[in-house]
Amino acid sequence: MTDALRGEWLKAWSGKAWIVLLVCGTYMSLMTSFGYGSEGDKALDQGSGDLAAVTDDVVRAWMMTFLFASLYGAIVVTREYGSGSISRSVLVMGRARLFGAKLAVGALMGALSGVVAVVFSVLSAWGVLTVYGRDFAWTKETTLIAVGLFACNVLAAPWGVFIGWIIRHQIASVVTVMALTLLVDPGLQRLAPKAASYLFTIALSSVYRDVGHTLLSPQTALLVIAGWLAAAGCAAYRLLRVRDLT
Amino acid sequence: MSEAPVIEFHCVTKKFGGVTAVEDLTFAVRPGRIVGLLGRNGAGKSTALRVLLGLVQPTAGHANLFGHAYQDLPDAPRRIGVSMDTIGPTPGTTGRRDLRIWARSLGLPDSRVEAVLDQVGLTDSADRKVKGYSTGMRQRLALATALLPDPELLVLDEPVNGLDPDGIRWLRELLRTLAAEGRTVLLSSHLLAEVEQTVDDVVILQRTLRYSGPLARLTTDGADRLEDRFFELAGASAPGGSRD
Repeated sequence: MTDALRGEWLKAWSGKAWIVLLVCGTYMSLMTSFGYGSEGDKALDQGSGDLAAVTDDVVRAWMMTFLFASLYGAIVVTREYGSGSISRSVLVMGRARLFGAKLAVGALMGALSGVVAVVFSVLSAWGVLTVYGRDFAWTKETTLIAVGLFACNVLAAPWGVFIGWIIRHQIASVVTVMALTLLVDPGLQRLAPKAASYLFTIALSSVYRDVGHTLLSPQTALLVIAGWLAAAGCAAYRLLRVRDLT
Repeated sequence: MSEAPVIEFHCVTKKFGGVTAVEDLTFAVRPGRIVGLLGRNGAGKSTALRVLLGLVQPTAGHANLFGHAYQDLPDAPRRIGVSMDTIGPTPGTTGRRDLRIWARSLGLPDSRVEAVLDQVGLTDSADRKVKGYSTGMRQRLALATALLPDPELLVLDEPVNGLDPDGIRWLRELLRTLAAEGRTVLLSSHLLAEVEQTVDDVVILQRTLRYSGPLARLTTDGADRLEDRFFELAGASAPGGSRD
């Protein structure tokens, strides 16, 4: 298994996918941070907000990085189907070890994305509010949000990996991950908020302590997320075992 | 040396939906031989090789390597080198990095990467992106990957495709050297003239098995041309080419 992990680790850094997604995730989160900072500044000027809540919003904006962690997970699997190198991976590592190695490396890359998200969220809390001439108010809640950001990235990358194994097509899996995160789950959340709180990406909202929606407690959400990952993982592994590699 | 077959196909059939790609295929490959798996495009050669390597599940029958299914064969990735037309390199890599990925996955030292790069003549272009490689260079890289574990058996799907005349001659000599060392080579091809100069045994496949045995017997020790015998056994082509 060590050899498989070493091979997959080298693959993980090959190509431009990781840097492109990292830059996109950072840029979008930074823009959102500034958006929350701007809105918060206006609210504070009008006396209708508090600095701790604005700091939380600026930090929470970095939750967007989990979308890119999911996309990375999906791409790291499906690009091998595109090139045909998946057959060699199966020949060299075997299906079980390949599945385990991709999952482990995907989760590790998710953890790195989480570290980047946490570091930049702290920097943006300071930097964005400094731009508006304010200090930031870091509270215990802000720390929990930052921890949630890290956890969401770690959990989202395997989700993308599993979707990649199930769909086996790069564009289709990228569209699926984006549609679930940005369209389907939020749409269902508007239609049936309570039921939607059990969806994977909405349950992640509980982990990064989103506000203003009907959400599960973080503990329940983690159980729900574990259930989704277990179900997707079982489906992905079964399909990898039975489907032909043509 | 043991004369037990290195490769055995037992009544292998593979259907994709309503299409039968390979039907009731049975043949064996003895050690130390270079065996040409011949057939037109769409004859089922690649499907047969994928069944052999466990990439595709047969609809019926089974195929063994050294007496085992690929996935049950101990140390299979180090014993069997594979180069297939449809297996590309890792996206976004250079030739050297691609080989390093597989070397690490196989637990081989980086020195092995340098050795196979030298063996296939890619050392000078090893740090170029594979995306910019010519077809012949990609073929050489695929062969380098197959040679990486210094395997007992090479399974090569259309290895001559894209090679220039120098490359074809180099490959022929390489395969001869490997066979002289006791290694076995199974290569698929539709280039009959090239195969005739390289192989010891021939398997002709046109969905079903048409011939399996020594080249010399098929061509009556060179009295007949392989091409003529192939068309006799495989049947006439559809007008304009193959029947894909």
